Amino acid sequence: MSLQVQKNPIMVNVAYAGILFVCVCGFLGLLSNGKTTDWAMTNFLDLWIFAVAIVGGVVAISMGARSPFIIASGAVGIFVALTATQDTLVRYLSLSALLFAIGMYGMVKSRNAVRVLMSIELMLNAVNINLIAFAKFIDPAEVKGQLFAIFILTVAAAEAAVGLAIVLSVYRNTSTVDMNKFDLLKW
Amino acid sequence: MEQYMMLHDYVSNAAAETALFYLISIFAIIMSVGVISDRNVIRSGFILIGVFGAISGLFLLLQAQFLALAQVMIYAVGITLVVVIALMLTNPRSEKDTSYENEPVSKDGSPISPFQRLRLIGPAFVGILSFFTIYTAIRSESWIASGEQVSPDNVRVLGTALTTTYSLPFEFASVLLLAALIGAIMLAKAERPTPVIEIGIDE
Repeated sequence: MSLQVQKNPIMVNVAYAGILFVCVCGFLGLLSNGKTTDWAMTNFLDLWIFAVAIVGGVVAISMGARSPFIIASGAVGIFVALTATQDTLVRYLSLSALLFAIGMYGMVKSRNAVRVLMSIELMLNAVNINLIAFAKFIDPAEVKGQLFAIFILTVAAAEAAVGLAIVLSVYRNTSTVDMNKFDLLKW
Repeated sequence: MEQYMMLHDYVSNAAAETALFYLISIFAIIMSVGVISDRNVIRSGFILIGVFGAISGLFLLLQAQFLALAQVMIYAVGITLVVVIALMLTNPRSEKDTSYENEPVSKDGSPISPFQRLRLIGPAFVGILSFFTIYTAIRSESWIASGEQVSPDNVRVLGTALTTTYSLPFEFASVLLLAALIGAIMLAKAERPTPVIEIGIDE
């Protein structure tokens, strides 16, 4: 009898999902401090929605679904479930947070330098949504948020031009745009 | 003016505003996931135009007409054009973007360990954590919305503020753009081989 256990990826993923779920439940139990589960249910509904979505995503990955499909459906589901009963301002801010998180995910995940720049543009756009929502709902008399959004637009244009020029220059020297191979400053 | 009143009436209807908001935002979310996960980088550059268009629709919904049009002109035309040109110059087809494949096995064929699997889900962890942090900050704040409407001539307010109170940042923005322009040209310029100066060589 060998010690080599046959590793089943599905079972590993389901095990991760279970550990995650137990952690979230334990955290909520800690917070509820012996009160009824109704209390945790009403006060931390966001966290519950979140945990269910993450566990569902992990299970779907273990079933072999493609990750873009899971990200898209999970993001839309979380967004609608979290903001259906909220104010209009919180809806806009949540959309902004979601787009920012998607941009950050893309920035960390992708290996093509140009796609990293695209993700940064996405994040800047999310910030613009934030500012313009504030301009409409908090400060409608003198729309200062739109003013700041104009400056962000300017900086984004400058950043795109310089960033892509740097990518071109690096490509000319190393003939690759893979982020993992950018080690020019290493010696 | 009549055009504006139409937009204003449309936006002040709560049900129509909510329906339009969800339509546009779901469109934007799906498109942005497409941007970061499409296998073909040039196609994701074109999907980016769709994201910017959807966000410009959201700006119209928020009654920021000037910014909606500026968004279309600067982002959807300008920046995307630069991105696509850069993609064409760097020829991304020559290397395969493998960062979006589920990798059940490592390179030598053995099944990967749980720790490597954790490293694979690291980016997802970063994204989820950032969303959850920002969302918690949003939820725990009680926003006091002033019940007023955005003034119909908010473009005039914007222009006045930009040329009086905020004229100094405005000028600095122009300096920043000039510096970025010169820097981008300097960086992207093709390097000529340095001319070899030959002086005083006689036969």
